[in-house]
Amino acid sequence: MTTKTTVEIKISGEAIQAQRGETILHALWAAGMAERVKAGCDGGVCGACTVTLRYSDGRAAGTELACMKSVEDGMEVFPCAVEEDAAVAPVVNPQLPALQAAFPTLDRCTKCGSCTAACPMSIPVMDSVLRMQAGELAAVAEDFTTCIHCGLCRFVCEDKVKPHNMGLWVRRSLGMSRNFVAAKTQDAAEQEWQYLLADDRELRLQRARHFRQSGGIAP
Amino acid sequence: MEWAAESLQKVAASRRARLGQPAPQPDSVQSAALLKKYHPDYLGREREVEVGANAGEQKFPLELAQLLEGDSPIDADYVPHPEIETDVLIIGGGGAGAAAALTLDGSGLSVHLATKLRLGDSNTVMAEGGIQSALGDDDSPRRHFADAMVGGHGDNDPDLLRILCEQGPESIRWLSQLGCLFDQNEDGRFRLRGGGGTSVPRVLACRDYTGLEIMRVLKDAVRLSAAQILEEHVAMELVDDGKGQTTGAVLFDRNAGRMVCVSARAVILATGGSGQIRLQGFPTSNHVGATGDGLVLAYRQGCRLVHLDSYQYHPSGVCYPQALVGQLVTEAIRSMGAQVVNAAGAHFIDAMVYRDVLTAAVIKETAQGRGVKTPHGKVGVWLDTPMVDLKNGAGTLSRRFPGLTHRFGRYDIDPARQPILIYPTLHYQNGGVRVDSECRTDVVGLWACGEVTGGLHGKNRLMGNSLLDITVFGRRSAQSVLRNIPKRGAVTLNRLRQFRSQQKKIKSATVSPIFFPAASGMKLNPAPVQEQRASETAADVADTDTDTDADDREPPNPFNF
Ligand SMILES: Cc1cc2nc3c(=O)[nH]c(=O)nc-3n(C[C@H](O)[C@H](O)[C@H](O)COP(=O)(O)OP(=O)(O)OC[C@H]3O[C@@H](n4cnc5c(N)ncnc54)[C@H](O)[C@@H]3O)c2cc1C
Ligand code: SF4
Ligand code: SF4
Ligand code: FES
Repeated sequence: MTTKTTVEIKISGEAIQAQRGETILHALWAAGMAERVKAGCDGGVCGACTVTLRYSDGRAAGTELACMKSVEDGMEVFPCAVEEDAAVAPVVNPQLPALQAAFPTLDRCTKCGSCTAACPMSIPVMDSVLRMQAGELAAVAEDFTTCIHCGLCRFVCEDKVKPHNMGLWVRRSLGMSRNFVAAKTQDAAEQEWQYLLADDRELRLQRARHFRQSGGIAP
Repeated sequence: MEWAAESLQKVAASRRARLGQPAPQPDSVQSAALLKKYHPDYLGREREVEVGANAGEQKFPLELAQLLEGDSPIDADYVPHPEIETDVLIIGGGGAGAAAALTLDGSGLSVHLATKLRLGDSNTVMAEGGIQSALGDDDSPRRHFADAMVGGHGDNDPDLLRILCEQGPESIRWLSQLGCLFDQNEDGRFRLRGGGGTSVPRVLACRDYTGLEIMRVLKDAVRLSAAQILEEHVAMELVDDGKGQTTGAVLFDRNAGRMVCVSARAVILATGGSGQIRLQGFPTSNHVGATGDGLVLAYRQGCRLVHLDSYQYHPSGVCYPQALVGQLVTEAIRSMGAQVVNAAGAHFIDAMVYRDVLTAAVIKETAQGRGVKTPHGKVGVWLDTPMVDLKNGAGTLSRRFPGLTHRFGRYDIDPARQPILIYPTLHYQNGGVRVDSECRTDVVGLWACGEVTGGLHGKNRLMGNSLLDITVFGRRSAQSVLRNIPKRGAVTLNRLRQFRSQQKKIKSATVSPIFFPAASGMKLNPAPVQEQRASETAADVADTDTDTDADDREPPNPFNF
């Protein structure tokens, strides 16, 4: 590999050197600037490390997760922490009117597409908002399966639509409405526990070995 | 990935032939030998500690031993004056802490939940593979028990383990009724998968985002509860009544840049694990807050710790791309058919042996020169992910593992077509604070639940038992608090003073806990610095007009895509 191993990026206008291949977050850490961007999971699933980015090569500016995006020469990074909105209680057997009542801004969507462009998880956010308006709640739940609740879709929405909050509300509401099929009770339970809970460690381990293979007590 | 082209070719070439072929299965003697020679737990990088409840009693990894013997960051002349009075203080905003908070809701007790980062920024949110519960037709809590006992090498606390397994189905009911959407089959029953060490399918999942699903729901429910949430409040030290009962904590409010003392009748410690201590320099799959703070805090109160000589090094951590190093590739991929193969494309071990054995085998393979070296100097072996589609039909991998597909897609790697380079990553703290079957520690007033505790999993936790652990014991700790909550006591730093008088003798220069990963350079910053930063950040997000060089610093207009 003959490429240069460092690149220059800017954090709110301040230039720092970063190692090629590392994430924006780790570049900030190495530069002693950890407090600039929040970090939670460092694995792309908590949504703490939201930033906006500008590139030097004319690509459109965008939103990103600092812990997942690797540095590029000339990249400009701007911290963009998003506050949580107040939670809205889910309901059993949700229908469109209940969603509209819980989120009055649902119908304000102007189909601008910003939310979809902003989503670091590639969720079709706008399409899903349209599905919400159409009352297709099962499909909405599916759309938001991978939502990390970073709030960027809400942050960029000029019309104060809250796609991710609605997505979570739909998911929880549908989840609460499912029937739970309990496991059947088993007769031999107490006897089996007595067998497995032998006092002697070695005997216990030996019985466990047997039990996991046969599913029951040794004959 | 031209640097690996040759090896990739070999892997692709041997794939079809490997498909139906059994891989070498080490027997128990071979496994033991592998562990002894290659597993990081067995390399003697541990020692006894000289102070505290476990002094001279058992061994700890060197890095942890140093922290346990360290001094507190609190000034010797600091006198705690409670500013917040609550009935129950929960420390830690992951799954265990959230489950405890929800269980206390509506009980009449006041609840504060303090967490170092934001609510939900935790190991819980990162869990991928799933949660175990004996819901299958051929399954029972006893079989679940037997699997976990064998997996834990017989060292599991049998009483704790029985509770875990018996409470499995009820926990899934609880999570479902809160709104968790676990994957279902066509017939509406939960989809159950096998995991390493399960003798029947028992793992429920939400795609490969199970922890995200659970945490998202718990977080929302906690926000809707009456619990007071103290985000970015770091527990620095626990306080006691002067007679040995824990009565609250000293927190550090990161936004205000100052300490806040809390008086509580009961404290539930739910601070999770310690992967960010980076034992032996290993990468970790853990979140930023996993620095073992709870172990240090509880230890200074006089709690015993158990099984901390045993950590879980997950065999499949990412080795390439560099930006993802240490992150987890869920074991569920292996249970769906992905094999672990070396540089030459040889299937050197069965991918579903116990985690610790597979980890040792991978380390052996790379140590003996059969791994693949990345341009960043790391060495790993292949997880042959394209086999998932070969075995289960095209499209299975991207459908069942959208997280993996998305993460690697960012780096132009499609795991459905190309294997992934892996190397073990520090993943789970098997041991921890000793608790009884009601989650009580050795100290009155202090309960503990979740990854911070030890005993339940023995010396090797099985996939999916930890998400169940935090649900079962998070709730159980709260139920025990409800039954046993003591009267409010005085607030002193007596325990700390006693610990310090012992600690002085060993001349340790370490200050602990470390609160944040060493690599981050983050600290508990007192007020002046913090205020300045806070206003800077606010300006960046909202309005840059006040900035001096506004032109350069203006963020791109996010609406302008
Ligand atoms: C990548 C990954 C994948 C996993 N996959 C699975 C899986 O598929 N199945 C499974 O069962 N398990 C899995 N696990 C393990 C499981 O997720 C964790 O063991 C479990 O979620 C721990 O929950 P917890 O609530 O005890 O700790 P955490 O969820 O880590 O929560 C602890 C909380 O305490 C906070 N905290 C820490 N120190 C302090 C302090 N000093 N003051 C205040 N707050 C503090 C932390 O920031 C955090 O919010 C996985 C773990 C990881 C990291
Ligand atoms: S950003 Fe707002 S207005 Fe635009 S498509 Fe999304 S929800 Fe609709
Ligand atoms: S849908 Fe919104 S909150 Fe969810 S990941 Fe996408 S941008 Fe973030
Ligand atoms: S730190 Fe969690 S998404 Fe980046």
